[in-house]
Amino acid sequence: MRKIYFLVLFPIFFSCNPTPEIDDTTMLDGNQIFDLSLTQPEDYLVSEYITNPTEEQKNTPVLIAAHGYTATTFEWDEFREYADEKGTFFVSQVLLGGHGRTYADFKASSWEDWQSSIKEEYIKLSNKGFKNIYLAGSSTGAPLIIHLLSSGFFKDYTRPKGIFLIDPIVVSSNKTLTMVGLLGPILGYTSVDLSTGEVGKWYVYRPQETLKQLMKLIDMTRINLEKGILITPDIYVKVYKSKVDDTADPVSAVMIYKGIKFDSQPDKTIDVQMVNSSIHVFTRLKGREGVTDADTLNQQEAFDDMSRIMTE
Amino acid sequence: MKKFNILLFLLFFVGAGFAQKVNVNAGMIFQKTEALYWENGVGADFSMPGVFDNQLHLNLNYVSSRLGTALMYNAIKQDNLIIGLNWHFLHKKDLQIKAGVNTGLFLVDYESAIFDDLPSSSALFQIETGLSYQFKFPVIASLTAGYNLISGDGVSVPGTLFPVFYKLSVFYRFK
Repeated sequence: MRKIYFLVLFPIFFSCNPTPEIDDTTMLDGNQIFDLSLTQPEDYLVSEYITNPTEEQKNTPVLIAAHGYTATTFEWDEFREYADEKGTFFVSQVLLGGHGRTYADFKASSWEDWQSSIKEEYIKLSNKGFKNIYLAGSSTGAPLIIHLLSSGFFKDYTRPKGIFLIDPIVVSSNKTLTMVGLLGPILGYTSVDLSTGEVGKWYVYRPQETLKQLMKLIDMTRINLEKGILITPDIYVKVYKSKVDDTADPVSAVMIYKGIKFDSQPDKTIDVQMVNSSIHVFTRLKGREGVTDADTLNQQEAFDDMSRIMTE
Repeated sequence: MKKFNILLFLLFFVGAGFAQKVNVNAGMIFQKTEALYWENGVGADFSMPGVFDNQLHLNLNYVSSRLGTALMYNAIKQDNLIIGLNWHFLHKKDLQIKAGVNTGLFLVDYESAIFDDLPSSSALFQIETGLSYQFKFPVIASLTAGYNLISGDGVSVPGTLFPVFYKLSVFYRFK
């Protein structure tokens, strides 16, 4: 009888506590490859490379760009390059807490940790006197920013001028995420296939603990949107959503559209643009395979639109 | 051919009912989708002594977020029209186990032309099981859990069709 118990329990225990095989030399999950913003923050954060802004710099729009779940600052590199070429606004690329480091760091992180770097950069820019601060969140970066709105974070700082949400996730396209509480401990972790250009830029492995945190974050965001998130009419909000998205269900855009309301202007709505794209985070093309002219045009139009909104 | 057979079965069920006593229960349904909305509504349950001795039940449900989360909050308005068959085990007891399959239609109203390209309807295919208790007074309460075999991907099926749901039905036993 003891043998039967062992045979039954062993696979359950084993599958409850698996550790993935990590190649340190190629994977971000390992202990050799890290996001460069950790060692060279002055190349990524406006608060680091403009330590004492002039009056002209304080009036120049600055956008804090927050990447998605398992991603790194790489996700906003192209928009940063666009901004540097334009020279009319700054982009501050934050690295979410727990990201860009090791599998163990990621596994131990909470959604609050992920959000902390956005808050820190916002506080620094506000305290330095920047007057035109924008935020952009791709995928999971979006609900992290929406939570800042709903929690009243901005009331103690310079109010943001605008918020851009790129392929925001409030509902996952893969509905098995809703069962992560039950399945997670059995699975331990999931993994993704990365293209050659994406290797070293995204975590390969997704520990079930972080999937639970993701589910907690997006479920909380959905509920807050259902209750209504009231913002002042001077904050501009726009959602850019791919019509086909295997990660962030397009219905996420509907929930954000219905959920964000403007104080004393009940008929005003946020802007939503449904994009003819099948790419999740269509603004990031570097490292992808099979990028089409239409994809490039979508990216360019979104960049131009955001730039126009910030600088007009 | 399959639709014709289903129609024949329903006609037989209804026709047999006219020739025999039909047990009818009807009342309210409270449905919670895992990680999503309350969708509440009404339903009816039919069985006959002459059809597997009241073990086979035909049920008709309408549940909607309009009567649930969308009533008070900014939830998406969606409707479920369901027809199903379930089998009652221990059918002579007050506490019964039930298991069955449902089909029907799922409809979503996004309320804005911005979202016209998103899918707004889907067929429903569900499996459901749980417990049913028959009180001494003419009320039957059921608590079940179900799984939608089709769930939404936001491309061909509405993204708010989630897999797991739980249902509480409180029916008055008319006959």
